[in-house]
Amino acid sequence: MLTLAALVTANDQVLASGSSSDGDGGFVGLLFMLSGFIFYALMYFRYRNANKRHHHESETEATLLNLRERDDFVQSRKGLSNRTMSGANNHEVRGARRKFF
Amino acid sequence: MENLNPTPPSPGPVEPAGEPTQGLRPPTVDTDSAIAENPDGEGDTPRVVQTDAGAKDGLAKCTRCGATEISLNVATGNLRCGFCRFEWSADNAMEAFGLGGDIGKLEGVVLGSGSSDIIPSTEEVLTFKCSACGAEVVIDTHSSTQARCHWCRNTLSMNQQVANGAVPDMILPFKTLKETAVASINKFVRKRRFFAHPTFLQEFNAENVMGVYLPYMVVDVNAHATLSGQGEHQTRSYTVKNGDNQQTKYDADLYNVVREFDIHVNDLTVESSSERLNQNSSHNSNNIINTIMPFDVENSVRYDSNYLAGFTSERRDSNLAELSPIAHTQAEDVTRHRVNDSLNFYDRGVRWTQEDVDVRGERWVSAYLPVWLYSYQQRRSNGKTFLHYVAVNARTGETMGSVPIHQSKLLLVSGAVQVVGTVIGVVLLVLGI
Repeated sequence: MLTLAALVTANDQVLASGSSSDGDGGFVGLLFMLSGFIFYALMYFRYRNANKRHHHESETEATLLNLRERDDFVQSRKGLSNRTMSGANNHEVRGARRKFF
Repeated sequence: MENLNPTPPSPGPVEPAGEPTQGLRPPTVDTDSAIAENPDGEGDTPRVVQTDAGAKDGLAKCTRCGATEISLNVATGNLRCGFCRFEWSADNAMEAFGLGGDIGKLEGVVLGSGSSDIIPSTEEVLTFKCSACGAEVVIDTHSSTQARCHWCRNTLSMNQQVANGAVPDMILPFKTLKETAVASINKFVRKRRFFAHPTFLQEFNAENVMGVYLPYMVVDVNAHATLSGQGEHQTRSYTVKNGDNQQTKYDADLYNVVREFDIHVNDLTVESSSERLNQNSSHNSNNIINTIMPFDVENSVRYDSNYLAGFTSERRDSNLAELSPIAHTQAEDVTRHRVNDSLNFYDRGVRWTQEDVDVRGERWVSAYLPVWLYSYQQRRSNGKTFLHYVAVNARTGETMGSVPIHQSKLLLVSGAVQVVGTVIGVVLLVLGI
């Protein structure tokens, strides 16, 4: 079973991403079945660039000083299904002015 | 407990995981009172640095021949007299006003006098007496701070700051030539011809590009941050069988993570025109102008209206009270991303549950930044209009744009792609590929 997760990713790349629980067997086939929608989205963003913005979070000069770190082991987790941590927000951007709607 | 990075004293107990909370605490000043002048920097009110000291309105003359026909020579970045060709440059703004000092020493709010609050009743159209012939000359500060005397043809400049946001603290002169900008815009549009609207292609002429100085606030922030939460480090990935299907599973170690540090954010740039701040891309293409940032604002010079000759400008209409929350949220983003360098071990990510960014000091300077702007007003079939921009950063040459789409053509081709894709997809599904 495949879930189309996103057409436009957080870093403004337009692509189709998916997760598959039965390997990638049906993934390519379903990607082709959505090809018209994907093509439209790709062209729309290529021409209109409605998803583009200034990446203030990485393009602004900043100096980090006197860093103190603390890392305490809590537990080991086994058999997790997701490739990334649930609720991870260390790459989150909240100050972007660009809105789609 | 496992300490991955033996470091100086622990910042304290780690907050338990839960609903994320974050907060950027501004310095202990009331931003609503930002226009209060406090030249000595005493108390909690902002310290205002006077940036138009010595500036004069009226005739700004060439120091060598006395002519007022002065404009920017984009090739050199200097001001040039149109008669004797003498060239000179205004002082670097940061050095002239001491606004480029150590961010770590910033305390409270420091702002250039050109960043002070706009007083709504201030006139936009100002009248000056020409000191050459005595005629009264009108300057519409909405789009310029210069006007030519209709009697003696001298150019009158407005360099003193009035409380309507027309004269900023500093200006970054154009560096990219118009020919270069035209070539960049042509190249940008040429790559997007196939699905471009035919009316647009018919009417497109990159020579119509305009040089515009747009208003921005440049902000430095001195802050102390403490972020705490949890991070995961992947220890193993493997595939398990679930009936006929295969699933990838992951093992990971969970850690409580705390980072405490000082952060100096330099030249964070925020639009200070309310129109440009609205970047809803279903209603406008202001995000295009936003995309071409950043600018090399450290090369800005002291404001001189002669830099505007031949260009237009847009007046600032937003105050510190409106812009502070935006700048603080963006500074918080910068902080969160900057500390990621110390989180490489957590390859599955970190979930911050507490973010405290204590702003110790901040410095606000208003600036005009240069943009080559091609605009196209599209009239849609529903009668509505949409303004498309192709913008070129007139310092770095970075180009971005919005090209009107020929919707029916794109839908037709997308439909054809869909039909072909569906056939291939069905075949692949049947074959189990």
